[in-house]
Amino acid sequence: MATSDPGNDGRIRCALCNELSVIRLRDRNRQLCAEHFAADLSERVRETITSHAMIAPGDRIAVAFSGGKDSTALLLLLRDLVTASDDITLVAITVDEGIAGYRSDTIRSAESLAEELGIEQVIVSFSGLFGKDLDAILESQKERACSICGILRRKALLSAAQAAGATKIATGHNLDDEAQSVLMNALRGDLARLVRDSSSRSGDCFIPRIKPLKDISEKEIAVFLMARGRFPELPECPYTRYALRAEIRSRLSSLEYRHPGTMKRLVSGKERLTSVLDGIPLGGAINRCRECGEPCSGTVCQTCQLIASLL
Amino acid sequence: MIVILPDSSSYDICGDRCTVGSILERFGINPLEVIVSVGGNVVPEEWVVGGSDTIRIIRIAHGG
Ligand SMILES: [Zn+2]
Ligand SMILES: [Zn+2]
Repeated sequence: MATSDPGNDGRIRCALCNELSVIRLRDRNRQLCAEHFAADLSERVRETITSHAMIAPGDRIAVAFSGGKDSTALLLLLRDLVTASDDITLVAITVDEGIAGYRSDTIRSAESLAEELGIEQVIVSFSGLFGKDLDAILESQKERACSICGILRRKALLSAAQAAGATKIATGHNLDDEAQSVLMNALRGDLARLVRDSSSRSGDCFIPRIKPLKDISEKEIAVFLMARGRFPELPECPYTRYALRAEIRSRLSSLEYRHPGTMKRLVSGKERLTSVLDGIPLGGAINRCRECGEPCSGTVCQTCQLIASLL
Repeated sequence: MIVILPDSSSYDICGDRCTVGSILERFGINPLEVIVSVGGNVVPEEWVVGGSDTIRIIRIAHGG
């Protein structure tokens, strides 16, 4: 009989079989072994993909693959989920931002995993695309590290995905990331960004972005990888400590622990708001960037302004 | 039992058998920010430890 109480040996068994538990699913109060947990997680990702029609036959999916935990889980799960359906191909895109003492290890780990899984991989670097690596770009503006890096990474990913002929871009954003973004945009008073649907169509060179892990918590991703012996024990990016996100991450995680379901409620509230406000411009009139065609409030978008300032 | 924290510092703790969750609480660690392995296997917070167990607490780094 499966039980969630520890036996005499202190060990806890899976609710579905007699194997040892690796995690208790907090929302269902259920203990699961590695195998049943992996199956449960994969099924939830499949549901997310299906319910949002994220993937269609014939898609070529560019997977943003840094080699960190989220993108490693994403690549493993997508590979298993799409191999069943013939017509879909994956290409892993790895962006080398150029962060001394941090990035070379993760790139190596990304290269060996893509090779092991037999997934085509493209590696692009900030220095190749923008003429400078992130360390050089940030020399005098470390406190803006994550926003600058984010803008450039997005651009690098998009151009690599276009060059690879991708029809979708998949990123490893998880439930914690999504909840943090909602809270960050709210705290910044950035209403336009708060309600923007990140997958909404825009620009001429647009490739839809999908987030198959958006309903999976960071802890679940870590346990999933650890139980498969695939948890990349890599250092944290040295720039994250400058970011507002780091503070929000820790506070939100404490709230989630004490008030389970906080993150899900925050994200679903945001999604309801997005659907209600669909099509209503909140940031003034929307123009098109004259360089890249992305929607922006002025004549040249933030990304193109930043790139121009580096060249 | 031996507890190894994310910063690699280790503590030899004697006393009654207790749950992994109570050890995390004792060190002021939010269970959602770490994974815990006992004897190399990842375990839930309800897992009971003691005796000669080695409990390793691994911080989940942001990003990736
Ligand atoms: Zn099981
Ligand atoms: Zn532009």
